[in-house]
Amino acid sequence: MNLTLPRFFWNEYRKRRKRTSLITFALFWGTLSILLLMAFGQGMSTQARVSFSGFGETLIMVYGGQTSLPFEGLPKGRMIRLYPEDIDYLKERVPEILRIVPETYNQWPVSANGKEINRTVHGVTADFALLRTQVPQLGGRFIDADDDLQARKVAFIGWKVGNDLFGGKDPVGRTIVINRVPFTVVGVLQKKIQDSMYNGPDADQVYLPFRAFSQIDNQRFLDQIHMQPREASQSAFIEDRVKVLLGRKYRFDPQDRYATTFWNTIEDFKQGQAIFKGIEIFLALMGALTLLIGAVGVTNLMYAAAKERTKEIGVKLAIGARRRTIIGQFLLETLFVFTKGTFWGFVLSFNIVHLVRLAPINYDSFGIEGYLLRPVFSLRTFIVYMTVLGVLCFLSGIFPALRASRANPIESLRYE
Amino acid sequence: MIDLKDITKVYRTGSQSLEALRGVSLAIGRGEFVSIMGPSGSGKSTLMNIVGCLDTPTAGAYALDGQAVAGLTFDELAAVRNRKIGFVFQNFNLLPYATAWENVELPMLFDGKSARRRRERVTELLQAVGLFDWREHRPTELSGGQQQRIALARALANDPPILLADEPTGNLDSKSGEEIMAILIDLWRAGRTIVMVTHNDHIAARSERVIRLFDGQVVA
Repeated sequence: MNLTLPRFFWNEYRKRRKRTSLITFALFWGTLSILLLMAFGQGMSTQARVSFSGFGETLIMVYGGQTSLPFEGLPKGRMIRLYPEDIDYLKERVPEILRIVPETYNQWPVSANGKEINRTVHGVTADFALLRTQVPQLGGRFIDADDDLQARKVAFIGWKVGNDLFGGKDPVGRTIVINRVPFTVVGVLQKKIQDSMYNGPDADQVYLPFRAFSQIDNQRFLDQIHMQPREASQSAFIEDRVKVLLGRKYRFDPQDRYATTFWNTIEDFKQGQAIFKGIEIFLALMGALTLLIGAVGVTNLMYAAAKERTKEIGVKLAIGARRRTIIGQFLLETLFVFTKGTFWGFVLSFNIVHLVRLAPINYDSFGIEGYLLRPVFSLRTFIVYMTVLGVLCFLSGIFPALRASRANPIESLRYE
Repeated sequence: MIDLKDITKVYRTGSQSLEALRGVSLAIGRGEFVSIMGPSGSGKSTLMNIVGCLDTPTAGAYALDGQAVAGLTFDELAAVRNRKIGFVFQNFNLLPYATAWENVELPMLFDGKSARRRRERVTELLQAVGLFDWREHRPTELSGGQQQRIALARALANDPPILLADEPTGNLDSKSGEEIMAILIDLWRAGRTIVMVTHNDHIAARSERVIRLFDGQVVA
């Protein structure tokens, strides 16, 4: 391929680049704005997913309640309690449940290192970590099956509990006293963002093996049961089935909305995702409209540039430039301008996104910055953007180029 | 070399039409130096444009170097302009963003000549017009006379047999004009066909033959 002419056009473009600086800036600004818009939109969506998963993504919780309907001769207003034996009862009868975990909690004084704080202490089994995204910090672990079987006096604590009791020191291996009983800390919860909670964020909670908890607590019934379906799509079925089974066992109408309460994060997640998908689509639409306005602007500027160069085109035609040479030059210049504008737009937006991502998130409080400070630079978005903009720029370059190539050399030479 | 037979050129603007050339016939032989003279509106420029393949006649036949021009495509006409005709304009028409070297090199780029051939030819031409040391300068950094010499060098880049000069000294002082005329005469003596449009009798007198136009017709 003979690159002599393209090289000549490149030299010409370099000398005239101040004349095209407005177009270059428009492309730079458009690229920067749209890539940032999409990065922050996608970041918000991703963070929403992360904060959902911070609580537990595929989780159904069931609580006891009070009947609101009379059933089989029994009056309404009866308290319905869940008990530890319900775990096996449901597990045996609902094979769609993958994991099931009991949970009981109480407010107790927790002390160590000469400090005492009041915190919610939970009794749970090992699978709780998987259901409720309890990821331990390096060097620690969550409660395991043996801890529960042997009712070991071990505890897994939220990072804020660790900070409150031990300051900067590593709590793992140290003793904390809960309701006057000593427990050894085996793990500290890794920091996470969490948009849903009960009894406060997990950072403030203390978790004990279920059997160990039962030894220091005189409450026999469970506060709630956590279930994870084998398939997320089975969650509604599981919910219905559990209502029927518990209704049969504790004699209440499965249609009674107040006898038991369900919290289905799968449905919440779907709704949340739909909202954020909507926001993403809205942002993409805004981006597309911005792109279109930008493309119209670029076309206008390209047209003006072609008009300004009428005489130059006439001279070139007079000394023997062919039609394709003129078109080629305009398209090449469009490519140069496009590459320059979008390259710097890409570089700046990429760096802004990665600089923003360096900003720390305050995990101690649930704030909007948790959503805004983690923009995502998506290669897919970038490729789609570049393709669409490339086509628009090509179109905005080809029309002035065609017009210029069809110019009458005489009229072009006379143009002032 | 240049053979025009009964050339008519009509410009139409809406319902109005203007006959710029009316049945012009003339022949210019190889190696001739011809001046075209006539008052404004007589059709000199139109005739030059047709001879230079920048425009096509409404009627009549034009053969350049034995080849009929009518029926050639836009790109074929461009190729004829590139290889067979060199243009020198009154207002130079150099590319403002290109250097003197690049301006001279451009017709050869359009013709696809090799880098080595281009380098040799541009060097030769710039030395011939005495502006080799000014090769990196842009037109705005050159005097009118220098610009016209660069334009002449560009016109000769592809070694065309015909040189068309439209008022080549019209924008120059007498000294620069004289320099340009001297170069044109040298080129003619070297065997090139030169067709020059001028208003100036003194300049026209330097050519071999003067063709006079009036109201779109050859009168002498």
